[in-house]
Amino acid sequence: MNLRLKSIFNDYGMVIILLVLCLVFSLLTIQKESPDSPSAARAMAEEIIRAVGPEDTGIALGAKNTSSADFVERVMKELRDLENPPTVKAVVGEPRDLRIALEELAGSDSELTIMVATGDTAKWRILEQIPDKFPQFASTKITKPEEGLTSAFLKPSNLLAIVDRIVVIAVIAIGMTLVIITGGIDLSVGSLIALAAVVSTTVMKAMGGLDAPNHAIFVGFAAAILACGLTGLLTGAVVAWLKVAPFIITLGLMMIGRGHARGVTGGFSIYQVPDGLTWLGQGKSLGIPNTVIMLLVLYGFAHFMMTQSKLGRHIYAVGGNREAARLSGVPVRSVLIFVYALSGVMAGLGGCIQASQIATGDPNMGNMYELYVIAAVVVGGTSLAGGSGKIMGTLIGAFIIAVIQNGMNLLGMKDFLQLIVFGWLIIASAAFDQLRRHGGLKPLLSSPS
Amino acid sequence: MKRRLLLLTFIFGFVIACSKKEESADAPEIKGKIGTTCMDLTNPFFKLIANEMTKEAAKYGYEVVALDGANDSAKQNSQLSDFAAQGYDAVFVNSVDSQSIGEGVKKVHAAGIPVFSFDNQVLAADAKDLVISHIGSDNFQGGEVAAAAMMKATGDKGKIAILNLPESSSCILRVDGFKSHLQKNNSKLEIVTELNGKGRRAESLSVMTDILQAHPDIVGVFAINDPSALGAHAAIAKAGRTDDIVIVGFDASPAGKQAVFEKKLVDTPQQFPRKMAVGTVEAFIKHLEGEDLEKKIFIPCEHYDYEASVDDPSREAEQW
Repeated sequence: MNLRLKSIFNDYGMVIILLVLCLVFSLLTIQKESPDSPSAARAMAEEIIRAVGPEDTGIALGAKNTSSADFVERVMKELRDLENPPTVKAVVGEPRDLRIALEELAGSDSELTIMVATGDTAKWRILEQIPDKFPQFASTKITKPEEGLTSAFLKPSNLLAIVDRIVVIAVIAIGMTLVIITGGIDLSVGSLIALAAVVSTTVMKAMGGLDAPNHAIFVGFAAAILACGLTGLLTGAVVAWLKVAPFIITLGLMMIGRGHARGVTGGFSIYQVPDGLTWLGQGKSLGIPNTVIMLLVLYGFAHFMMTQSKLGRHIYAVGGNREAARLSGVPVRSVLIFVYALSGVMAGLGGCIQASQIATGDPNMGNMYELYVIAAVVVGGTSLAGGSGKIMGTLIGAFIIAVIQNGMNLLGMKDFLQLIVFGWLIIASAAFDQLRRHGGLKPLLSSPS
Repeated sequence: MKRRLLLLTFIFGFVIACSKKEESADAPEIKGKIGTTCMDLTNPFFKLIANEMTKEAAKYGYEVVALDGANDSAKQNSQLSDFAAQGYDAVFVNSVDSQSIGEGVKKVHAAGIPVFSFDNQVLAADAKDLVISHIGSDNFQGGEVAAAAMMKATGDKGKIAILNLPESSSCILRVDGFKSHLQKNNSKLEIVTELNGKGRRAESLSVMTDILQAHPDIVGVFAINDPSALGAHAAIAKAGRTDDIVIVGFDASPAGKQAVFEKKLVDTPQQFPRKMAVGTVEAFIKHLEGEDLEKKIFIPCEHYDYEASVDDPSREAEQW
């Protein structure tokens, strides 16, 4: 049992790094947030009741689309349930709306005795300027509810944003993992993202643009994935039969793909697409974001393929020792063609997701993504020398990259610093993983490989 | 094992904590944060805007977090998601792509955060009305200024070329304004070619070299920004044609001003990045004060020619 645990730990030790990163960012992004509990709403309602006499008026202020708007709604509900509800106006919107409300009130006889500024509204400068702009309200009491603490990193909306940020890279990294396990590399995937995005959106534009039927989206995606899959097939064939170095053929295709993407669109981005396009990258099924479902299904399938199927064993064999694999009857060429074609298909799918996420086909998309994809694979523990690597490790590697990027943005780290820290964290993650695998620095230094 | 983990946590934490401290040191009382993303922070124009915004916002107690969009529209969209998640007080956006920025703008708006755009407008149909205010140069009018300079410098006859940047809406407007001015004034200038100089020196150098091969008889070039104009100048100088081809740039960047002074460029319609930065912060502050705001606030461009450059202290100080 203990041994088994240890082996899981060794296989997926990068999980620890991911968890450490999550922990660090959760702690560092703790910030104040306006309360929204029912008890806080009740307390606030009571304060309003105390302050607002029969002839008076109160204002409950909330910022549009934020939790403070919900809080105001709760307070108002508490007040409405009373027998003699006090006159309280809910102002939910922008500072401008408060100004208009105050102008209206200034015209009436009613006295404004209390103003509750929840959440961000406490920072509205118009509140400080009330004595100047509305002298009659100078004595109005402005209360701000006690703020609680919350971690911006751990907010559900942020965690989902991390998935959205990484889904394209993670999907493509599946194909890249297989390619790297066979000892190859695929530099064309970044350009294929752009190609897939512009091909799919061009098809949609041709089939009616904004008013295109929903099946146009599928036709567009299918065309894009087919185009990228065929590119991958070509790569695989050249690598398998002509034995051109994968680096060179995919470098060439990287330029060709980018060139075609720009050629198809004339350099412009395509935005004449139906609304339904955003379903794949932004929609939900059964309450779960489609991006999450897609990652789970694709990774589940790839994990099964690599660990349970004959094809998976063949892929490892080709990467481990190509000659030995050939002699023991592994169809080396077919395996190579398969992994590059799959890499192309995944890049095509990634491009479709990207197009869906920003509802645009932009020929400049995916620039440098091949390097992020490779980084995800390598950080995830796959050796660039081929023969070893784990699909689930790649998923974790992708998340490590996403969490670092997201966390640094949340912390508001300056741009130059982000680059430096990101670079060091990637190196540190990979180095830490090596140390962990070999059980420390000493064994690592003395081991020959 | 455990000790190493602890150590690692400590190091990560330390690096990040240090970076936080460094930023907050100069503005002691911080009321909130403003997120901004620029299309390219390696471009000194945007660097200056970001710095000016930081200074101006600090006066009101706001910290500006400026991120580099790195000419990647998808990256910019995830930056906007991060701003939304963090619950910043405002977002100032300068989009890489006027259309695809729409999805990010919608997310920020849905989080109740006011969005302002500067320099490059948001044009996505379902997002452009969510932007509270746009603050930018009047690029169309700037294009007209450039055309006037070109007509004057060439004596209003001959063939000319344009180095454009169709990815950027503000640069499209410059070219539109340029052409419109020529047409309105029945200009005898003939635009023989319009190519993408990428807004950068190196690319414009090679594009211009090719233009000189294809159209050796041109008398003028309009480039949509100074790096592009200086790239064109390098090509023209290499071909030994500086005496018979005039170049009009755009921006009046420090390098552009110096080039005008050295008579490499005849004019570079001046943009005012400081006004733009201050104007954007002011728009946000006015919004907080509940004032009515114009949907679009345009800052007119002005001629920057040799006469303007001679005693210009900003040129000597290598400033915008």
